Amino acid sequence: MNSFTLLYKDELKGFYKSKVMLLLWLGMPALALILHIWNPQSKEQMPLALLSALTVSSIGGTLASVMLAVGLVHEKSKGVYSLFLIRPVKRRHILLSKFFSVYSCIAVAALLTITLGFAVDYIKRGVITQEIFMETLISLVMSFSMMAIASGAGVLIGVISPSVLFSVILVIYGGNQLAALGFLPYMLKLPHPWLFIIISGVLVASLLLFISVLLFDKKQF
Amino acid sequence: MSRGSRIAVFENVAKSYHESLALDHISFEIKEGEIFGYIGPNGAGKTTTIKILVGLISDFTGIVYVRGNRMPGEKHEVSKMIGYMPQDVAFQEWRTVEQTLMTFGLLSGLKKPELDNRIGEVLEAVGLGRERRKKVSYLSGGMIQKLGFAQALLHKPRLLVLDEPLAGLDPESRHQIKSALKDISKKGTTVFFSSHVLSDVQDVAGRIGIINRGKILKTGTLAELKAHFDVTNDILIALSKGARSLDPLKEIEGVESITVIDLNKALLRMKIKADSDRIIHRAILELIGQGAQIRSISSVSQSLDEVYLKYIQGDMR
Repeated sequence: MNSFTLLYKDELKGFYKSKVMLLLWLGMPALALILHIWNPQSKEQMPLALLSALTVSSIGGTLASVMLAVGLVHEKSKGVYSLFLIRPVKRRHILLSKFFSVYSCIAVAALLTITLGFAVDYIKRGVITQEIFMETLISLVMSFSMMAIASGAGVLIGVISPSVLFSVILVIYGGNQLAALGFLPYMLKLPHPWLFIIISGVLVASLLLFISVLLFDKKQF
Repeated sequence: MSRGSRIAVFENVAKSYHESLALDHISFEIKEGEIFGYIGPNGAGKTTTIKILVGLISDFTGIVYVRGNRMPGEKHEVSKMIGYMPQDVAFQEWRTVEQTLMTFGLLSGLKKPELDNRIGEVLEAVGLGRERRKKVSYLSGGMIQKLGFAQALLHKPRLLVLDEPLAGLDPESRHQIKSALKDISKKGTTVFFSSHVLSDVQDVAGRIGIINRGKILKTGTLAELKAHFDVTNDILIALSKGARSLDPLKEIEGVESITVIDLNKALLRMKIKADSDRIIHRAILELIGQGAQIRSISSVSQSLDEVYLKYIQGDMR
């Protein structure tokens, strides 16, 4: 088994059982539901599926980047990686396995939340119009794009930060703002916004991961 | 490769951190099958040497070979034959003991069916058999240390490299690990370990290397290190019947001096140089020849601590 596949499976097991992930999987749909119920306007104007997608993009991305950054700083400072690096493990596999495992988990959480949103909307309205469906789909694509950028930023911040506190501050004031790049094509009202949203998400996240790998390669453990 | 041939070689190896020279062109070798104890004060360069050997530091000058593979270029070949335990060993806390060893085993190239048995074996060997399903976050510091030792043994490495493996362990665990090291060595694994606890090095190591301020001061067996500094050993002889004269003892080659400690109990202290077996044999013959009856003979050998201090203090001057 390739070291990336092994580490990815391992990290996935670790993340999906963690309390933060549990909170994400149950908390995000619950939060979207609460916001929907408590906001009287939303009953008329904003379907739950759309609200869910927005909730996912803001909370999911932040949680993912905090988890990645804090986890990396903690493990780095404790010297966990030296035992991996004396074995035939590529350094980039350590970072990429973390990125993809966290991203997979929040992607599942996002899908759960939006599916719940669709279900509630369907029960309440009896129908989901094409307009609502398309709007939600774009929001979902946007969420995935923003979460990818936030996760990439989380990895980079985890690699460069000397302390957990510093990494959290960077995530809140830097990572979140960077993740908004995934929202930009929609704001600019570009034609085929979903295409540009996907491209911007993949490009920015890849660039962040590339820089992280370069810096991680130079680190001494 | 046979016992006694070289498993690892350092030739003129130097490493700097910014302006400071951590290793100052050191050269030494580790022989196949031996237990090599590496001692030196804090900041002497022990951990840097070890990290170069296991491939964690690659920006150094000089040549390092492990079983003919040059480091760090052939690190992947070497990683299969090296087991390593760092000074402050740490693991991902969300894993169980078993998951930790399973991952490291698979990464080292072992297959799952053989790993199940092997994990049980190494956990028993280090005294963690009951903790197999426990989460790493619930282990004590000593248990983490033992788990570090277990992961280093997992893939049956040819060369076991341990950085302060006995630090922070209780006396029973120290004894357990030292016994394990001796057993492993008997089975053909070479052990290279650093320690601050010199008595542990003396108990376990066949050869010793002393490093200070980035320079290897001396390598050799304890007897060789003592001989280098002209270190004497003391022999205590208790007599139940005194000798007519002690003069013949003073004439034995290698005897530095004889002191009568207790006239009533006729307790003698004989300062001798190396090769104590020959001198003791001669002393017994001479004492019997002088009509003495010997109750007991014991050797008060100078410890590694004293030899070590002589080297370090000599280097400081």
